[in-house]
Amino acid sequence: MKLNLNKEIYSIEATQKAAYRFIDRLTILIEPVGDELVCTIDPVEGHEERLDDHVANFKRELLDQQLRKQIKEETEAVRNLILAYTFSRTGLQG
Amino acid sequence: MTKFKPLVEYQANKGLYELLPFKFEPLSEDDVVITNFVGEFAFISRDELRATVNKNLDPSSKTYSLMRSRHFIRELGDEASVELLGLKTRTKYSKLRNFTNLHIFVVTLRCDHSCQYCQVSRQSENRAAFDMTIDMAEKALAIVFRSPNPAIKIEFQGGEPLLNFDLVKHIVLRAKEINETQQRDLQFVITTTLSLVTDDILAFCKSHKIYLSSSLDGPEDLHNHNRPRPGRDSHARFVEGLERARSALGYDAISALMTTSPASLTRVRDIVDEYLKLGFDGIFLRHLSPYGFAIKTKSYGAYNVERWLKFYEEGLDYIIEINKQGVRFTEHFAALMLTKMLTSNDPGFVDLMNPSGAGIGAVVFNYDGDIYASDESRMLREMGDTTFKIGNLNTSSYEDVFTNEALLGPLEDSFTLSAPMCSDCAFEPWCGADPVFHYAMHGDVLGRKPESEFCKRIMGVVKLLLERMRSDPQVKTIFMGWANRC
Repeated sequence: MKLNLNKEIYSIEATQKAAYRFIDRLTILIEPVGDELVCTIDPVEGHEERLDDHVANFKRELLDQQLRKQIKEETEAVRNLILAYTFSRTGLQG
Repeated sequence: MTKFKPLVEYQANKGLYELLPFKFEPLSEDDVVITNFVGEFAFISRDELRATVNKNLDPSSKTYSLMRSRHFIRELGDEASVELLGLKTRTKYSKLRNFTNLHIFVVTLRCDHSCQYCQVSRQSENRAAFDMTIDMAEKALAIVFRSPNPAIKIEFQGGEPLLNFDLVKHIVLRAKEINETQQRDLQFVITTTLSLVTDDILAFCKSHKIYLSSSLDGPEDLHNHNRPRPGRDSHARFVEGLERARSALGYDAISALMTTSPASLTRVRDIVDEYLKLGFDGIFLRHLSPYGFAIKTKSYGAYNVERWLKFYEEGLDYIIEINKQGVRFTEHFAALMLTKMLTSNDPGFVDLMNPSGAGIGAVVFNYDGDIYASDESRMLREMGDTTFKIGNLNTSSYEDVFTNEALLGPLEDSFTLSAPMCSDCAFEPWCGADPVFHYAMHGDVLGRKPESEFCKRIMGVVKLLLERMRSDPQVKTIFMGWANRC
């Protein structure tokens, strides 16, 4: 089956990360087509009967990954600041 | 003059805040658990999560105070939160600076047992070719005392180490002699089935404060089924050895480990009861590892991680009930996880370390002189795979061993903070890398986490612990006790 995602809503990074989390249940090929990311989804052997459930969960995971990306980007500077405090006076900093 | 500034000084600053680094993982349709930079956690709803990220969190709400006090958000001027997170991160990784603590000496591969799930190939009792020599032991000790760690633990493993007890004695005496000038906090442990323990051995252990780590798989029928030996008397020998060892060395000088065989799966209450009956104050509900005879005899494949998690859940709930009745009894795997979840300390358990504890937390001197990065690494070697061999006592210096690419490569490549899926996982601060397991199962040190039994097992146990803590404050108190043992 195919799932079309709007690139303005879903980034390629978040889509890839969501797809990775389902690697044991779904094979997901991601292809950028115009303004969309087209996901071609096939069940991994043994998961055919639960395909709908897995796809529904994959859609939720897409939103979670997008949120994770937002948090990660917004906190990158302070994360580096914490690490700078952590490793200060250890001789490891450049 | 008052000691404290007025309350208004501590109240939220009009809800103007910025996010601190945190991760989240769904627990249900509506709830998530969030973890901050060092693994401190909170339960919030999805609505609260969205409000937090969108900066709409009500500054007068309990959630706002929770998020601020646990360093998920900070207001302008909250400088302490960043410094505290830095300090806690530093504490968490402080063990790394000390480097290797645990030094395992495989003094022989010979064993009087023939357990079907044994993770090292055993040889018959009369094959001296599988004993470590004094020359090898001396060279290993030279490496042990190059470790910068002020605390050194020497653990004797096998096979059955008591079958080469003369070498154990030699190593203990030599280590203590070297330590007269080194002044380390030196500790010895013998991993033994207790089946061959004698009064002379116990006298030596007593005079040198040697601890014994043994194996108990459950009630007599289960234990003897799992651990065959000539005479089929492994359990009776264990009980007899335990009594003698306790009276000689002290009650707490002997610990026991269990392994979950396929026959154990329906017997967790019996197993816990046996530990209680024999006076132990805890149990480690340990899954099988995919090495050695566990693979050859297909024991490892006999149950999957989902089945083991059911076994674990039943056991944990039973142990919680026992604690609620006033008996202090710990599940040690939970205690390790909870120490990471509820304190800033890292228990230093090799499987749950990131970077991996291989080489850093432990190093193994095999009977034949080869040096391995962990106990599991030498188990792989007994299956013919020397991927994690990091040196040889005849040819390698300390520097050769600990800068070996066979060690540094896997440590770097399996580092969870840069691993796919792990780097975004809310449970990552409580987890470990375990490159040897992933190599054994997936052929590379990272593995694919969604397919990883290690990942499923940790995820399953963590979710279980979180759920039990959240739903019952008494369980949270019990767990706090496990995480803060003296």
